[in-house]
Amino acid sequence: MAARRDGRIRMTVLGGYLGSGKTTWLRHQLHRGHFKDTLVILNEAADAPVDGTILGEVQNVLVLAGGCACCQARGELVRKLREICDARSGLNSSEDRIQHIVLETSGLADPGAIVEAVKGDPVLVHHIVVSEIIVVVDAINALDQLRGETLGRAQVEVADRLVVSKIDAAPDATALKRLLATLARLNPGATMSASAHGSAVSVPEYDGAEPEPLAEPSQATSKSPIFATTLVLDSTIDWTVFSVWLSALLHARGDDVLRVKGVARTPAGRLLLQSVRKVVQSPEILPDQNDRLDKVMVVIGRGYRAEDLQRSLQYFAVAERA
Amino acid sequence: MCANCGYPAAPGHWTDAGMADAGERMRARFRRARVLNAILRPYGLTAHDGGVIPGVQIATLSGSHEIVRDLTEVWVAAERLAGAPVDPLDPRFVGAGGEAT
Repeated sequence: MAARRDGRIRMTVLGGYLGSGKTTWLRHQLHRGHFKDTLVILNEAADAPVDGTILGEVQNVLVLAGGCACCQARGELVRKLREICDARSGLNSSEDRIQHIVLETSGLADPGAIVEAVKGDPVLVHHIVVSEIIVVVDAINALDQLRGETLGRAQVEVADRLVVSKIDAAPDATALKRLLATLARLNPGATMSASAHGSAVSVPEYDGAEPEPLAEPSQATSKSPIFATTLVLDSTIDWTVFSVWLSALLHARGDDVLRVKGVARTPAGRLLLQSVRKVVQSPEILPDQNDRLDKVMVVIGRGYRAEDLQRSLQYFAVAERA
Repeated sequence: MCANCGYPAAPGHWTDAGMADAGERMRARFRRARVLNAILRPYGLTAHDGGVIPGVQIATLSGSHEIVRDLTEVWVAAERLAGAPVDPLDPRFVGAGGEAT
């Protein structure tokens, strides 16, 4: 992967529920030569680092055991990352420097909280940019977890990429289709892929399958359902207006707006924008090409009316001329 | 670090991305101040960006003011000065069907 022009390390956060197959998937990716020049950080909630042994053949593995990096061990994670950044800054530009970190979270972690920890640290924000959140979803157990666990849902909601694992072991095809449809409803902005024993397989068709009605009863919170809204950035809404509007929206409604993702046209080119709750990742300039996602922003959240978003944005666009 | 004001150079707020050169950045700052002014006016606040120092000045009509670095801080300051958060989904912004009044 090409280094960023600003010299910051890219970080991929790999999340997923307990036993969903994160390490298996990662091991296979490393075996296939993906994530080259990458430091792998494993976080395990338990004290005994099992995953570190599984990934033993990879040289660059750092184990962070004895606490989940999104909560109790957050300080430890930040300290380790700072050490890595310090060591890297001390190297000559001619030496091989780490360009990429893969952080495999514990199964209990909310990847969103880890992104917040990195973005919120005054040192790390200069050194690390979170480039992707990959969440592994277990084809056998995920439906149950999504029904009963708010954490499972939180993980799926913040993903950029969902990997449905153990697809060959899924007990029945209807339930699998139902799971895929549910994932697509929970996080319409994420790309979906499938894997069996860690290697990529094609995603089964799930057209027409009904998503699981993941509504209230098992939900500990009484929050309203999550939905996705697509905003069109037409010629009246330029990047300046949009950024003013979105920053205000995230300030006022940051707990309800879970995810924003899309591509805006700016004077500097196509800008990829994504946010996880109140945290907006550094926008990235994309190569110039037409894409169906251009000038479209997907907003995933709850607690507001979908049509109000576009209306409010339109108001901001014309307010200046009023 | 900026030698004049002492602000450490940060990687840049996300809202500052997207401008190709210094001229465009400056134009975008002025334009942003105009948009902010229009949005903050009903709350009894003004926004001013003279383009000389980094940051935006948010002021109340009675004269108290704050200089903030980026748009995230703008809304925090606006909430503090106005006593309530500026919510884009407030009926005043969505009720008129996009018509600015």
